[in-house]
Amino acid sequence: MAEEIIRVLYLDDEEANLFSFKAAFRREFEVHTCIEPHQAVRLLDEHDFHVVLSDQRMPRISGVEFFELIMPDHPDVSRVLVTGYADTDAVVDAINKGQVYRFVSKPWNEEELRNVIQSGYDLNQSRVQNAEQGSEVLAMLEKFAGRVQEFEQALEEGSSASVSRVQQDLRNLRLEVLEERQRYAQWMDRTAK
Amino acid sequence: MRFGPAYGRVKVPLLAFLLMAVASFAGCNSGSDTTVDALVLESLEDPTGTLRPEQVHLKEGGVQRLESARPNLGSTAAAYWVRVSGWQGAPRNARVVLDNPTLDSIDVFVLNGARVLGSVRSGAAYGKAEDLIPSFALPLNEAHELWFRVRSTKPLLLPFSLTQVDRVETTRRRRDLAVALYSGMVLAILIYNTFLAFSTGQRAYFSYLFVVLTVGLVQWGFNGYDRLLWGHSPWMAVNGLTVMGASSGLAALVFARHFLEVRRYTPKWNRLIQLLLVVYAAALGSAIIGMPSLAYNLVNLGALSAPAMLVLSIVSWRKGNPSAPWYFVAWSIFLVAVTMQALRDFGVLASTPMAAALLPLGTVLEMLLLSFALGNRINVLKRSSDEANAKALAASLENERIVKEQNAELEARVRERTDALATANNGLSGALQELQGAQDQLIQTEKLASLGQMTAGIAHELNNPINYVQSNATSLRRDLEELIEVIEAHVRALTALSKSDPDAMLMVTKAQELARSLDLGFLIEESRQLIQGILDGADRTAHIVGGLRVFGRMDGDSLVAASLGELLEASITVLGDRARSKAELNVQLEDGLPPLWCQSGKLSQVFMNIIVNAVQATESRWDEVEARKVQVGLSGVKDGAGRFESLKVLIRDNGTGMDEVTRQRIFDPFYTTKDVGKGTGLGLSIVKGILDDHGAEVAVKSAVGEGTEFQLTFALDAKNGGENKAENEAA
Repeated sequence: MAEEIIRVLYLDDEEANLFSFKAAFRREFEVHTCIEPHQAVRLLDEHDFHVVLSDQRMPRISGVEFFELIMPDHPDVSRVLVTGYADTDAVVDAINKGQVYRFVSKPWNEEELRNVIQSGYDLNQSRVQNAEQGSEVLAMLEKFAGRVQEFEQALEEGSSASVSRVQQDLRNLRLEVLEERQRYAQWMDRTAK
Repeated sequence: MRFGPAYGRVKVPLLAFLLMAVASFAGCNSGSDTTVDALVLESLEDPTGTLRPEQVHLKEGGVQRLESARPNLGSTAAAYWVRVSGWQGAPRNARVVLDNPTLDSIDVFVLNGARVLGSVRSGAAYGKAEDLIPSFALPLNEAHELWFRVRSTKPLLLPFSLTQVDRVETTRRRRDLAVALYSGMVLAILIYNTFLAFSTGQRAYFSYLFVVLTVGLVQWGFNGYDRLLWGHSPWMAVNGLTVMGASSGLAALVFARHFLEVRRYTPKWNRLIQLLLVVYAAALGSAIIGMPSLAYNLVNLGALSAPAMLVLSIVSWRKGNPSAPWYFVAWSIFLVAVTMQALRDFGVLASTPMAAALLPLGTVLEMLLLSFALGNRINVLKRSSDEANAKALAASLENERIVKEQNAELEARVRERTDALATANNGLSGALQELQGAQDQLIQTEKLASLGQMTAGIAHELNNPINYVQSNATSLRRDLEELIEVIEAHVRALTALSKSDPDAMLMVTKAQELARSLDLGFLIEESRQLIQGILDGADRTAHIVGGLRVFGRMDGDSLVAASLGELLEASITVLGDRARSKAELNVQLEDGLPPLWCQSGKLSQVFMNIIVNAVQATESRWDEVEARKVQVGLSGVKDGAGRFESLKVLIRDNGTGMDEVTRQRIFDPFYTTKDVGKGTGLGLSIVKGILDDHGAEVAVKSAVGEGTEFQLTFALDAKNGGENKAENEAA
């Protein structure tokens, strides 16, 4: 997975901070910066970001409020709050409402921030995989449900030919389920690691 | 029966006096009716009283023989004619005596058939003073008839007798003496008891005096002596005895009521006494309105009170009235005397001198005994009063002792309470100190809170530039290393070229390759920008710190000349995003204003406090930041001469606003509209204190739903202005 480049979005009301951030991390990550919240929302829709960072204190909107705003549309993206002053109100608010992944104070430690971005990416990846896995399982279940319906129809017809066909199908289905379970177990093992 | 000690002393002389009195009565009356012969009496009733003497001989059929020499014809309205005979042959100086001075009228006629030969008028209503024993001369002709016509409202008791003239006189004198003796006794009793009445003030004594007086008068009346008092008034002759009898009855009843303490011992009898009093009063009334017979009969009816009082005294005795036995005995004596008199009048008892003396003697005895009884009663009262006094004295001594004890106890308790109060007072002083300490602490907390607010603002403001200075430096070092790498590669290539090294071209290509891969142009541009960022950051840091400088020390009391504009700007800077990110701040500060001598740190605290409140007020009202408006203004006010006299700071918001009640209380300590724990309620109170220290006028306008406006006016007073001027000149 490390092969994929990590896409990061940084939102701050100060140009200088944005520039510093980009200068610091442009070598490792695909860095996008943005000074306006609404622009950030548009960027989020256009690109598939792994990690979003935001300053807490901004005119018109706080970082926590911004995260709240993007939560419904981008639940998987890892959110990191950056603030110049660690006031408890903001921290409590962030934890209770903002679904903030990490909290970083300014002036930031570059190494620490890099690690935060990296682990944020990992979290994002597992979330995405979870979601994929979930949708796969869902599709499988739907498929099974369709098959069961077919069986019911065949049984209604009641001919011996259809019965033998259903028996054959059931055998196939059992095999498919077993295969699916095995795949799921493997995924579980991988996730646990 | 108990005699009080006072009567022990007078007992012997009293008895002697009584014996003398009895003897003298007996003596005075002896020989008063030494009749020579028994007279023969015949009566003729004249029911209408209209029979004339000339007509008497026509009524011979109605004449009845009277058996007794002392006939009693009873009480009647009719007139009676009595023919007296049997006097014939008597000596010339003999007289027919009708010894009843109470008879209203006595007319004596000497008749011969229809002819009236002579007539004499006598009786209570007509008689003369000396006629207290009516006596009449005998007719000259023994053949003539002697007729007496008697008429009276009182019983027609007719004790006729034939007596010698000088005997009549003797009887008169003796009777005078007896009456005088009786009167003397009554007077003595009266005077003695009058003294007692006034000295004791007892009601019983006064009613007793009334009894003595009326009984005495009645006795006078019986003997006709009352006319000595009021002459021959016909009305008194008819009514005198009745009136006196009724008065005597009234007096006796009133006295009984007082003496026997009817209300206390026998309250039921009071009704009967009232009834009898009414009877007597009715008798008096009848007499006054001219109904003498009715009056007389009412008095007789009232006589029922005599036995009634006797029974009452027994009942009262039984009920434990110590005076009752005295009364019983006295009243009994009186009743016996009256009864004897009545028996004599009806001829049951012989009319002896002793019998005639019985009634007055009885009354005197009654009076004396009642007087003693009264004295005894006074003694009893005195004894009980002494006992009561002794008890009262003991009680008051006891009370005094109790009061003393209570006083001591009270003093002890007062001391106790005083001590307790002192302790409580100490406790209160302690509590007060604690409270003051708490208040100081709160004020300190508020200071710290605003300090914390400032710190948070400053920290945020400072951390941002520091952040990019630090971050840029790191990035710049990396860029620099890369640039150096590129430069070194080029330097090596150039050196090789100059030495015509065969690898030179390869090295140039490598260097060019490196520069391309590292994006040399971008690196250079980035480095420039990073350096610019560092410079900007340092500049901004310096600016913030410079802004802080104008605050001075937060607790500093020293006055400095500060520009209010700078202070306001610094305050807004320090508040930073606390204010700016939450509302639209419209700041308009007039330039060229003189500085103000002030405690700059404290004033900036004032401005920050009011601005933060304004921002919070807009936050509560508007959701959109664009709608929240806070205006901060500074302007100078000039006087007529064009010099600045004051500076005006205006802080206005379009937030929730306050009602009048809240507006009036905003400067009160501990008053807050914020949630518990959100505000100490001291912010504006401290603000007011600081503004008062600066002599600033504060005007607050507010309306719910419109916003609030704080207008602070700082006077540039003489000293202030002067110093400002000096400052300006010096500058």
